[in-house]
Amino acid sequence: MAQTFVILLDAANFTLALLLVTLGLLIIFGLMNVINMAHGELFLLGAYSVVVVEQRGGSFWLALVLAPLALALIGVLIEEVVIRHVYRRFIDTILATWGLSIGLKQAVIVGFGATAQQVPNPLPQAVRVVGTLYPLYRLFVMAVAVLAAAATFLLFYRTSLGLAARAVIANRSMASSLGLNTRRMDRMTFAFGAALAGLAGAVMAPLMSVDPQMGVGFLIPAFLSILVGGAGSLLGALLGTTLIAAASTLVSSVWTQIVAEITVFGLAIVVIRLFPRGLTGGRR
Amino acid sequence: MRQAGAGPALSAAVWVLLAASPLVVDEWRLSQMAQVISYGILAMSLSFLWGQTGLLCFGQAIFFGVGAYAMAVTTTGLVPVAGGGAAIGLAAAVLLPALSALIGGSLMFRGRGLSGAYFAIVTLAAAVIAERVASHWDVLGGFNGLRNVPPLRYRWGGRPVDVVEAVPVYYVMLAVAVIVYLLLLALERSPVGTALRAVRDNEQRTMYFGFDIPVYKTFSFVVSAAVAGLAGALFATQFGFVSPALIGVPLSTEVLIWTALGGRDVLLAAFLGALVVRSVESALSEALAYYWLLALGALFVTSVVVFPRGLLGGPLSLPLPRRMRVPRDGEL
Repeated sequence: MAQTFVILLDAANFTLALLLVTLGLLIIFGLMNVINMAHGELFLLGAYSVVVVEQRGGSFWLALVLAPLALALIGVLIEEVVIRHVYRRFIDTILATWGLSIGLKQAVIVGFGATAQQVPNPLPQAVRVVGTLYPLYRLFVMAVAVLAAAATFLLFYRTSLGLAARAVIANRSMASSLGLNTRRMDRMTFAFGAALAGLAGAVMAPLMSVDPQMGVGFLIPAFLSILVGGAGSLLGALLGTTLIAAASTLVSSVWTQIVAEITVFGLAIVVIRLFPRGLTGGRR
Repeated sequence: MRQAGAGPALSAAVWVLLAASPLVVDEWRLSQMAQVISYGILAMSLSFLWGQTGLLCFGQAIFFGVGAYAMAVTTTGLVPVAGGGAAIGLAAAVLLPALSALIGGSLMFRGRGLSGAYFAIVTLAAAVIAERVASHWDVLGGFNGLRNVPPLRYRWGGRPVDVVEAVPVYYVMLAVAVIVYLLLLALERSPVGTALRAVRDNEQRTMYFGFDIPVYKTFSFVVSAAVAGLAGALFATQFGFVSPALIGVPLSTEVLIWTALGGRDVLLAAFLGALVVRSVESALSEALAYYWLLALGALFVTSVVVFPRGLLGGPLSLPLPRRMRVPRDGEL
């Protein structure tokens, strides 16, 4: 019983972390029609900004605040230098961001080496949850992810800015003829998505081995979540991440991580094939 | 496509230069070049699939890897089939990837199939799966791969002869590359090739003209997979060793870069892209290699943004087939 509960908590933990990455990816895709293959590397940079801040003597909590800000800046920069030139060439956005991801990953290797960095756990205690001990920091990660996801949902469904963003997602040219500055919107969207990825990277850093390959490990599940849930829908992303993350955690608790990866990716491909518009069927 | 320029002459010159290089290049470099040619054939297979049919595949190395493993498994005698000769190995290395592409392709493309980004992401995920399977399946040697893949072997006067010397190996590879090039080129310039480009440029309109889109896409996928498998098998015979590195995301990414940098819609440009990038890479020292990959990423992004047709695609592009040329004024 207790063990089942721990597995459930682990699944929730992975779901929420993945949700942060997926949300950024989804907003960028939905709004800008850009498939951001470099999103995993933005996650990676978020984790390494924690390493940098701690090397400079800063605390983890400072890093957790700085990482999203730094990534938002990097996001603006990437949008300005690369993305804006390939907007109307859909397939080229995939290639350009893929090239970016290679470059960013290699820059991290040049700067920090290919070996894994250690980020000490800032909350090493364990707390008692329904009769079992569970690491406090994992609960903290879940809280951060829930807050960030809730903030994103509120921003999109309860503010005028979110209304404008959803208008651009629904019909870009119409929104622009109604006077919305889609150009500025794109820049903000990309920065926001990058910041979410940076936050995810920073908050996950103490739980993972921080190495240059960690980005890809999140990119593919995040993409599959979007496609499984249904592109263009925030609720679909929630559904997709829950299915992917829960399935991975469950299978890897019974067999191994490798088996989990193979079966979950394989099942996701089947689902994508059977429901090309996602399980939510493209409803928004 | 541009009208005739120096394209045909330049293309012929490239092949002549490649055929003449054993005269000036030493043996060690020649064997390196022979290996790189198998990557060049892989790049041509992607160029056919992506440049002609518009299917951006992030898992092209899957077929290369399947070909390499098929060759290794048959010729090292792990699976005893009909003596385990090179011919059987080559046949397996072409048929197995083609068969998997046929199954995968008809599943993916039939009906309202996957296209564009969906296809890219699905093939990326498939490459991860293939790599994981190869590195954890003991029959295939797991992480360590399979050693002692014999070189190509043929019978001469009843005795087996191995192709191991640098010069014969090089010419065998070059001959295969030329044959693959000519076959793919003939296919590209045939009416079928025109239909494939129509699928690439406007799927819906092509469908309205009565073309069966899934069939054309699957056909292109199968041809591309067979060529990639052949490239993998040839690589295995030269390298003598197959490992999960041949089947996964990193090689799939690399072949994408070669093809994009060279020029996705011109076969020879993609081939040369692979040759040039790999040669520069192996000439650099270990320390510079880190910066090289960084520079390659930046170069790749620049070329996608500024030169979508690749760096060599323009000069090497061939004139349209005769039946498709627009008659000039005064003709007809």
